[in-house]
Amino acid sequence: MLIQLLTNKYPGMRLWLSQRLSAVIMAIYIVFLIALLIIQQPVGFDAWHVFVSPAWFKLTTFLFFVSLFSHAWLGVRDVLKDYIFNPDLRNFLQIIVDVLLLVYLVWVSVILWNI
Amino acid sequence: MQQARPQEKNKLRPKNLNLFTIRLPINALVSILHRAAGMVLFLMLPIILLAFQRSVSSQSTYTALVEILNAWFIKLMLIGLAWAFFHHFFAGIRHLMQDIHWMTSLQKARFSGRVVLWLVGFAVAIFALVIW
Repeated sequence: MLIQLLTNKYPGMRLWLSQRLSAVIMAIYIVFLIALLIIQQPVGFDAWHVFVSPAWFKLTTFLFFVSLFSHAWLGVRDVLKDYIFNPDLRNFLQIIVDVLLLVYLVWVSVILWNI
Repeated sequence: MQQARPQEKNKLRPKNLNLFTIRLPINALVSILHRAAGMVLFLMLPIILLAFQRSVSSQSTYTALVEILNAWFIKLMLIGLAWAFFHHFFAGIRHLMQDIHWMTSLQKARFSGRVVLWLVGFAVAIFALVIW
């Protein structure tokens, strides 16, 4: 019932919920990341490389960035809708943001893949 | 009595164009800073990604990155970035709590707003001490 409510009747609710879900995912990731950094203190390239190399680190980091980009997409969209009144200019800026975020997603994949 | 026409009505409205005479209530302040911090984080994304890439690519790019990050003005910018992150983080958690109807009365919201500002200040101060 809840799912139906979120998808069919009020399509905006899906975006609203996705922004909250991605926020929670990022918050959990960040808290664990900071805790791990404090505990392990990976100073120097070798220690840092060991820190970022495990598959679970790459996987969770990828999940973090996917959340971040979807979160940022909606956030910037709201900002553009609030302050840019010319529809052509707004659509143009929105396309730039969309392309940028997609490029970032590919970029992050490449970075994590090459570690 | 004749009804004032829209144009005439507008002339009677008080005008206050000096923005510095408007004091934002704390809830508005925390909220607009959350948005501003979010934009800062979004605009800084390419630099963050580039730094992350350099840090994991090789020994030499890592060393070069550390060299750059050690400059005092870069450290100041890092502190600014840390402010944007911590404000967005703590104010965002406050918004999530308000989404589940926790502390939504005006008085409690003002209190949680003050808590957020203190937490942000505290976190940024610790960050600054650690990197300096």
